[in-house]
Amino acid sequence: MVPRPLAVDEAEPPHPSKRSLRGLDWFIFFVADIQTGFGPFIAVYLTSQKWTQVDIGLVLSTGGLIALLGQMPGGALVDAARSERLVAGLALSAIATAALAYAFVPVFPVVLAAAALHAAASCVLGPCIVAMSLGLVGHAGISERLGRNARFAAIGNGMAAAAMGAVGYLWEPRAVFLVTAILLVPTLLALSRIRPAEVDPDRAHGGTVVLKTDHAPADDVRTVIRKRPLLILAGCALLFHLANGSMLPLMGSVVTMRSSQWATVTIAACIVVPQIVVALMSPWVGHYAQIWGRLPFLRIAFGALVFRALLFAVVTDPYLLVAVQILDGITAAGLGVMVPLMIADIMRGTGRFNLAQGIVGTAVGIGASISPTLAGSLSDHFGSSVAFFGLAAVAAVAFTAVWALMPETRASETPAPETRVEVS
Amino acid sequence: MQGRLRTILAITFVALLAIGGPSAQEVPGGQMPVRADQSAVPVAPAVQTPEAPAEPSVTVLGSWQAQGVLGREVRSSAGENMGRIVDVIVDRGGHVHAAIIDFGGFLGVGSRKIAVDWRALRFRPDSAKRDIITLELNRDQVKAAPEYKDKQPVVVLGASGGLQSLPSD
Repeated sequence: MVPRPLAVDEAEPPHPSKRSLRGLDWFIFFVADIQTGFGPFIAVYLTSQKWTQVDIGLVLSTGGLIALLGQMPGGALVDAARSERLVAGLALSAIATAALAYAFVPVFPVVLAAAALHAAASCVLGPCIVAMSLGLVGHAGISERLGRNARFAAIGNGMAAAAMGAVGYLWEPRAVFLVTAILLVPTLLALSRIRPAEVDPDRAHGGTVVLKTDHAPADDVRTVIRKRPLLILAGCALLFHLANGSMLPLMGSVVTMRSSQWATVTIAACIVVPQIVVALMSPWVGHYAQIWGRLPFLRIAFGALVFRALLFAVVTDPYLLVAVQILDGITAAGLGVMVPLMIADIMRGTGRFNLAQGIVGTAVGIGASISPTLAGSLSDHFGSSVAFFGLAAVAAVAFTAVWALMPETRASETPAPETRVEVS
Repeated sequence: MQGRLRTILAITFVALLAIGGPSAQEVPGGQMPVRADQSAVPVAPAVQTPEAPAEPSVTVLGSWQAQGVLGREVRSSAGENMGRIVDVIVDRGGHVHAAIIDFGGFLGVGSRKIAVDWRALRFRPDSAKRDIITLELNRDQVKAAPEYKDKQPVVVLGASGGLQSLPSD
């Protein structure tokens, strides 16, 4: 008699403990703190260390390139791992090492290696977090969980931006990297609260159909790459980040030009307000995406981006600009939950969930890399208003693509955790 | 990014030429930019004994007397934060014309590079004897200046009534 195949998560519905879930919450919070310490701040720090602009550019470009190229290998690595917690812990240690290298040995070869290490570790850490979430709660609960993840990440980002800004201002830019390295301790503590037995590796990879034996092989990579909804999602994500990537930096530049007194505070507010919106809205988005489907939120997020670009082109008052950033928060809340959620939907049962995250991550990275060049050249030749209109046009194309091409990915019957479902 | 990569490759290429250049027995003197034809000529065999190079003169500057400028903070006369010096603009005669300051922004977002007249900078310690660089412009005057871009004409911002264009030659 041929054993009936059962999808892993429906066979044994996951019951993660409160301790593991809390651990995951705080883990995400601290990782967001750590990652905020890097980013554009590196250029500020290296400038204060008397680096030339060419060398700083090289370091940033190398980091960006590795972050782009490492997305798919990173995802494949997480798919191959049997213990997501171990991989996350190793990636974190690498990032903390990079922070220490920045702080104590700011010479070119070391900083270049540290930037490369940080980029590679981030390529692994990102999918790992979502994989652990999926491993803990399964497909039935992933929507709410991703909403909660986004909340804690936003709180971490916002608080860290304020704290790191203060630390860099009151002490010196180097101190930010020391704080980042010290944050490794609470992060690993939070990671240790997650019970390893509850993070099922097969579930974390998207679940494969098992035949009552050991883990079945995952789907062929070529099959993954040909999944049409995944490619459409990746393409839309690319267009989105092509428009969105340089919107805030360009606006920051314009704010610096227009107002001197409050420029720094305005830009700080423009960074923090979206984080607040994301922290407030994401769990709600995660909850209702399960009920109403994924597409409404995706469409609203892309639409809000178009509005935001148009408003940036015409609004001049600094207070209104901060208000426009609320739209950025709506977009970030929508997309931050929907993208990993839809990838999880599409990759259900394939065992290649993290590779798919890597594929979409690569598309995002390509869009985000081209964005500053596009916005910069438009702004140089035609002024910032035209640049924003150009970005709005790209966002409109993205919106049309989402509206016309993207299918709903929520499973039509989501099995309640207690029911057993036969997978034909 | 493309432009930077090309710049790096070009600099590396010129550096390799410069290494190949002096072995052809030319005393550099004021001829430091290596010409391409020099390296195309095969180097004369090292049978000739090279002349002993003249001893360079040595001067010692106390660290309180002179320091580097890259990465140092600049303040306005009113004490406002004006950013950091990230580059220095020098003409072919060796005269310093401007400093590029990285101005504005928060955590790296929104900062712009502005060229300011070198003569608008003051390097004397302030009343509290701290070693700071003072710029005789305030934030309002600097904020709207066009951004400095490599390989394009440099727009230099000066304190009122001091700037002259370079003679065209």
